[in-house]
Amino acid sequence: MRQERTDAPREALEKDVLLATRGLSVGYGVRAIVEGVDLSLRAGQILTLVGPNGAGKSTILRTLCGQQQALAGTISLCGFDLRSLSVKERARLLAVHLTERVRPELLSCTEVVEMGRAPYTGLMGATTSADREKVRDAMELMQVWELRDRDFLQLSDGQRQRVLLARAICQEPRVLVLDEPMSHLDVRYQVELIRVLRQLSHERGMGIIMALHELPLARRASDWIVCVKEGAVALQGTPEQVFVPETIDGLFDLEAGTYDAWTGDVRAFGRGTDLDAASTEQSEVR
Amino acid sequence: MSGREVRTAGPRQASDEGYGDVRGLRTSLVFALLSALVLLAFVANLLVGSVALEPRQILSILAGATDDQMAYQVIWSIRLPRICAAALLGGALGLSGMLLQTLFANPIAGPYVLGISNGAKLAVALVMVVIVGDLQAMSTWMQLAAAFVGSFAVMAFVLAVSRRVSSSSVLVVVGVMVGYVCNAVTDVLITFASDANIVNLRNWSLGSFSGTSGSQVLAMAVVVLTAFALTYLLAKPLGIYQLGETYAESMGVDVRTFRLVVIVLASVLAASVTAFAGPISFVGVAVPHVARHLLGTSRPQLVIPASFLSGSLVCLVCDLVARAAFAPVELPVSTVTALFGAPVVIWVLLSRHERVS
Repeated sequence: MRQERTDAPREALEKDVLLATRGLSVGYGVRAIVEGVDLSLRAGQILTLVGPNGAGKSTILRTLCGQQQALAGTISLCGFDLRSLSVKERARLLAVHLTERVRPELLSCTEVVEMGRAPYTGLMGATTSADREKVRDAMELMQVWELRDRDFLQLSDGQRQRVLLARAICQEPRVLVLDEPMSHLDVRYQVELIRVLRQLSHERGMGIIMALHELPLARRASDWIVCVKEGAVALQGTPEQVFVPETIDGLFDLEAGTYDAWTGDVRAFGRGTDLDAASTEQSEVR
Repeated sequence: MSGREVRTAGPRQASDEGYGDVRGLRTSLVFALLSALVLLAFVANLLVGSVALEPRQILSILAGATDDQMAYQVIWSIRLPRICAAALLGGALGLSGMLLQTLFANPIAGPYVLGISNGAKLAVALVMVVIVGDLQAMSTWMQLAAAFVGSFAVMAFVLAVSRRVSSSSVLVVVGVMVGYVCNAVTDVLITFASDANIVNLRNWSLGSFSGTSGSQVLAMAVVVLTAFALTYLLAKPLGIYQLGETYAESMGVDVRTFRLVVIVLASVLAASVTAFAGPISFVGVAVPHVARHLLGTSRPQLVIPASFLSGSLVCLVCDLVARAAFAPVELPVSTVTALFGAPVVIWVLLSRHERVS
């Protein structure tokens, strides 16, 4: 027992850290896209990566879920070195939702969601009634239970996205990795997804790490914000610390005063942040 | 509030089971229908042939009670082995197509379309002409091994291409071209083969189930049924792989090992068809679609056995047509399978196009 405990980094156990990186460099081949990433995701926390297109947010996420080799640095998942876990062990700890399109032919939504139980089912993938219960719970959570018998391919993009999210949820991971989970959703389901994500993290203790383009949503959903720009983590902090005009304008190279911290909106025409957003404290710059 | 309670309480079990029942009924019907048709095609193949035999006569031959040596030979040495070959190799084609379509995420992948059958053909012809010098002298297992090497080599090449270009139409064009190249080289080899072998080679390279011996049937049964069992054991990862490599890995599929096993299995299946019967077109592409649409799902646990049965059925029927349509002249079986398979492929492409747009 004691032996096992010392295997895991002490820090991880003390702070309930699910996912941690130290000096992580990510990229393709030898070319690093982002270097020196230090992150830690705790149980019950929602961490969001923001930053301009091509900054490497998706590359970081892909590396975190083991689909791409880290160029340097370490990743620990629930206290284990990510590389030391088998594919199946990893699948029980971490689930992903990615932006890539999937086009499986002739599968019902239930069949797609059921795949999330794969890390737990036997050789032939037969589901038990407990598995089906979890499938149903996840589908109800994502409001796709009504679509259960429909052909997955015939759904709208937004519906498909919710089905795939239900699949990730019923995988019962400790860590959920989401790349642009809001992209095809309309306002109603965006708000709904935020509610579900907060429920998953705050009530079930899941750690959620995602990349988002929608700044107002990132601000509402997240407990911790990490800004990625020009090959590095520019800064990280709580939403209150990060979402101030100077920071966001700088992050996206906007004309000063374009980002309105009060509404969380970006103004089409610069100038005029007379809404006193500067009252929020400026975040620490790394 | 009350609506929510209703949802979670009473009808939960009932609706789940009701859904399962409909599925189960359709599945049972499809398998019953396919089995019945395979049986029917089996009997029809037994009855039809250039030597006219009465059903009663055939029954007594099968029971072993006959004095007619010629009729006995016709049934036991010609018709039965040929029927078994068509059934087993047809099933192998269906499975091979199903594996390739999943692996390449491409609805028109198949052993013939991707040039794999022709690669196997080239390897067999090469070994025969250059090394052995006689088709009859080549042992069954040697033929199989050569075919496997050929199909595996083409498969590896096509796979390497598919890693570079993601377009599925480019992949198919590359496969067809590789097939043509292999065909051309085989033709050159045939030109240099000794006269005695040319007739043999020509027949074989067109594809035919005729001339199968009992020992060959035994060999193909061992290979094909083993491959079938192994494929069935892969049903779970095959299902998950339909969501793509990345998702499959995130749900616990060891993608590298999985891909390798699928490649080897698909090559063995395609190779056994080519080694025993020559390249047979379009069955591999078309049959998995027929199976999926009959079942209304692409769940591999069901599609694998259904593809095998449908493949058997199609090859039995096509072989019957090849033998009987213009008797006593026999058509190459590939001619008949193309007539059946090519329209199915066109239908698949059109219906896909409709759904996407």
